[in-house]
Amino acid sequence: MALLETNNIVKNFGGLIAVNKVNFKLESGRIVSIIGPNGAGKTTFFNTLTGIYKPDQGRITFNGRPLNGLRPDQIASRGIARTFQNIRLFGNMSVIENILVGMHVHLKQSSIDTLFHLPFFKKEERESEQKAEELMTYVGLQGVGNELAKNLPYGGQRRLEIARALAADPLMLLLDEPAAGMNPQETEDIIRLFRRIRDEKGITILLIEHDMRVVMNISEQICVMDHGEKIAEGTPDEIRSNTQVIEAYLGRGAAAGQHEEKNA
Amino acid sequence: MVPTFWTDIIKKPEQGIYPHIIILAHMILGTGLVYISPRSNLAFLVLITSFFTLYYFKADQRFKLIVGVVLTLFILPVVGVRNIFYLEVIFQISVFAALALGLNIVVGFAGLLDLGYVAFYAVGAYLWAFFGSQQYYVLPFAPGTQPSNLPFLLPGDAFYLFMFAAIFVAALTGILLGTPVLRLRGDYLAIVTLGFGEVIRVLANNLDKPLNFTNGPQGITPIQRPTMPQAAVDVFNKLFGGVVGHEVSPADMYNVMFYLLALAVIIVIVFVTRRLDDSKIGRAWTAIREDETAAIAMGIPLVKMKLAAFAVGASFAGVMGVLLAGSRTFISPESFSFMQSIGVLSMVILGGSGSIPGVILGAATVTILNLQVLQGLSLHLSQLRQSDAVIPIINFAWADLSTQLDPAKYQRLLFGLILILMMIFRPAGLIPSQRRKRELASDEAEGGE
Amino acid sequence: MKRFLKSINVPELLRPLGQLIFFSLGSTIFLSAIALVLALILDRTVVGQTLFERLNVSLYTYTLVNLPQVAIDGLTIGFVYAAIALGYTMVYGVLEFINFAHSEIFAVGAFVGVEILIALDTFGILADASILMAYIYLILAILGGMLAAGGLAVAVERVAYRPLRHASRLVPLISAIGVSFLLQDVIRLVESLTTGQFNRIFPTFGNFDSRVILAKMTMGTTPITLGMSIKSIIVIVSAVLMLVALNYLVNATKIGKAIRAVAQDHPTASLMGIDVNRIISLTFLVGGMLGGAAGVLYALKFTRIDPFVGFFPGLKAFTAAVLGGIGNMTGALLGGIVLGMLETFAGSYMGVFTMGAAGSEYKDIFAFSILILVLIFRPQGLMGANVAQKA
Repeated sequence: MALLETNNIVKNFGGLIAVNKVNFKLESGRIVSIIGPNGAGKTTFFNTLTGIYKPDQGRITFNGRPLNGLRPDQIASRGIARTFQNIRLFGNMSVIENILVGMHVHLKQSSIDTLFHLPFFKKEERESEQKAEELMTYVGLQGVGNELAKNLPYGGQRRLEIARALAADPLMLLLDEPAAGMNPQETEDIIRLFRRIRDEKGITILLIEHDMRVVMNISEQICVMDHGEKIAEGTPDEIRSNTQVIEAYLGRGAAAGQHEEKNA
Repeated sequence: MVPTFWTDIIKKPEQGIYPHIIILAHMILGTGLVYISPRSNLAFLVLITSFFTLYYFKADQRFKLIVGVVLTLFILPVVGVRNIFYLEVIFQISVFAALALGLNIVVGFAGLLDLGYVAFYAVGAYLWAFFGSQQYYVLPFAPGTQPSNLPFLLPGDAFYLFMFAAIFVAALTGILLGTPVLRLRGDYLAIVTLGFGEVIRVLANNLDKPLNFTNGPQGITPIQRPTMPQAAVDVFNKLFGGVVGHEVSPADMYNVMFYLLALAVIIVIVFVTRRLDDSKIGRAWTAIREDETAAIAMGIPLVKMKLAAFAVGASFAGVMGVLLAGSRTFISPESFSFMQSIGVLSMVILGGSGSIPGVILGAATVTILNLQVLQGLSLHLSQLRQSDAVIPIINFAWADLSTQLDPAKYQRLLFGLILILMMIFRPAGLIPSQRRKRELASDEAEGGE
Repeated sequence: MKRFLKSINVPELLRPLGQLIFFSLGSTIFLSAIALVLALILDRTVVGQTLFERLNVSLYTYTLVNLPQVAIDGLTIGFVYAAIALGYTMVYGVLEFINFAHSEIFAVGAFVGVEILIALDTFGILADASILMAYIYLILAILGGMLAAGGLAVAVERVAYRPLRHASRLVPLISAIGVSFLLQDVIRLVESLTTGQFNRIFPTFGNFDSRVILAKMTMGTTPITLGMSIKSIIVIVSAVLMLVALNYLVNATKIGKAIRAVAQDHPTASLMGIDVNRIISLTFLVGGMLGGAAGVLYALKFTRIDPFVGFFPGLKAFTAAVLGGIGNMTGALLGGIVLGMLETFAGSYMGVFTMGAAGSEYKDIFAFSILILVLIFRPQGLMGANVAQKA
């Protein structure tokens, strides 16, 4: 059974159809990319999955249960964690606190535990602090736990966002342009990190990405969107040779190339 | 420059014996000055700023604790009994510090701009004002027409119970008011809370009919004072009688007691605030303040956490409301105007929203400015008016100055200036909030990093 | 001259007029219907009996006879709200920011206008003014109030808002609250120092206080005259003129086009060669001028002003702006009229309908209840598009 399944998802904004009847299946344990030109509806699709937007039509099933009608926080606690296209960290909180916020759904401390610092509270705080530090090391952010998140360099902020998402122990990780603005070396590192997350933690990864090196390198399956619709799906090789995709998307490769240069 | 004791102090205020000396010296100087001239505002300022020295300099924690206890529990009450005006100032600082700390949870931690915060203060105050007075028996009478020999509904002992009850009543009010509106965006929420504040005030003004709950604009009086054991007066006299210099009357002792009660509430609030701040709840609040979308994507239930902030903040205000009603024995809607809400907000903003020491400093500064500087100016002006002094050069007689020009009434000017200047020049406040530094294993592994 | 006349976009002049008439009539009919239905229902209950015993008239007749007066009063205050609401909505449209100090801009306008008239009065000019001259002096006062308020609005933006334009949303709002409080006391200080008191009275002159009698009738045994004071007519006419002029400025001129462009998108507008800062200043100027004029009209209508006079009208006008859909100018007109009507209807009839338990003393919080309901159930307002929050 698929981990995530969407059935005819539709989202429109006052006449503009941002996501149009998208059917999408994601098997557990895979790394899948969604690509498509700017404005194709990729981020809107993400926002619909995570409950930030309510779909106008269609059904979303995750891990065997419907997600329709749930609030974003309820969806998050079902095991979907995400990062954002334009990094959204809690800038004035320290790095480790950002990760601790990610653990929110798993912390069981009650207000009584908190007020009186009962043993359970102390134990849970100690353990989560430890786990947060492990995660920092895991994504390559050692020794900056007490820095404010806003003071990290760009690459560090991207990593912290991933660590924060991992802290929720998700079943699925949604990454919105995780390699944007990174140089080739950083990009390579982050691809390796994604593989490790999938291989070692067994987390399913769905990412939106413009950087074709990343997409072709990491994806086991690619879904192509244009004008809110899914126009193709397949392995990287299939997508590379799909004429519809080339027309809609890769035909604008020059533009994509410029985009990368500007960011590098 | 020759290194001397003084240069050492200036250079090394952060280490060794010097900070301890500075703290002690400041406290003793302040106490001495106030003792010598009990009517001097300046002397009192010197004394009260010793709290700042105590906070600012790095000294042994136990030493700080002892000095703090001596200052708050010994010196201030004695000074206050010798000059009751100081006690009033200290009491008001405590009340506003507690209110500001409560508002700080809503504004500083959760980032929700609540412009009607005194509504909860009013709820607490009217709670005790109704049950701790004759108002229950006045219900069928229009204001001013009630018979004169009505009994009190509850005895003074119930006051202490109501301080606890107010926590829940105010929190419940917070939840009731918050539930429909906490989904709103920040700036809309601000205006709506302002509306709620006004609604509560208008209700207090008009609920003298059909049943007379609040006695309308005239307010409720007399309100029961809490019972104070005679032993308290005796103990205080025995302990401090010598330094005070005269027998302390029960009336004075009441003022001391209210100050101590306010202090106790503050200590509880600071304790609760710090514990919450450093837990799942506090982190969720800060996350919401920083970025709502990211917070909800991390599984934080926005409305529930915002309601929690609203309720906790409200409960603090409710307790202080009961305390106010008990200490003043008179409550009217005027005490709960929009201006009061903004006053408390300006304390939070001035001190530093989200910062506990900052907010207390803000409350103290604004209260002192209000009570001592503005009122001092008023006094000074009215003296000048009565004299036949003349402003030189423009040849303007002070006596001709409008009596409307009473600086004590220009609180709005003060609050307004504070808000504008802080937003433009120092939005984080005088003492910005600091994230707690954790002792992390990985930090040590990195060594100098 | 001919070319100038040709360049006037007539539909843009007529459209807002049509809207205003439509909104006024619509809300009058709607609210009257509600009031009459309520009266019919309550007539058979104890409410009707009480009234009958007191005035010897049925509740339905009472309601019906009072309706025209209530509607006229509602319309008058509604137009004042609309003029203030436009200031909020224009600034919000351009900066997405609630200009909390707009209520004091309004108050400053009122004070400057009233002080001009008081100054004229002390020289005895007003007392012997002919009717024509009285109107000229009134216009002079309105213009003075407009200039002062507009200038102040621009200055406030420059000093207290512009440095905070890129800060988070609540920062400029807090600064605006600060400005509001500061201005209240500055008005009070200036008035106290110069005149010795801070409550000012709009001088009596001209024929503003006389009434135009519309109809005479009797209710039970009491004779009733239906009329409209000249004041109210002046308020309505000037408000309509201003609203039409503003609509023309925004929708039919080059400057208006620039304002709309800036409201859409600052960076793009500035790439198109629009000086964004200048347009923002201009928006504050226009909004402030409208507020200032509304202030003088308010003083004319209600006679007595004090430094805190702006608070409630300001909040209600903000409510009106939200009710209509903040950022939407037609919405502000609609919101102002509807709110003014609602409030006056409630203030006039609630007391009778509830047998005095809750009367016009709740008028002020009535607006808040509407604000809260609108924000909960239709945050985009009556006319606003559904704008998702900008990330």
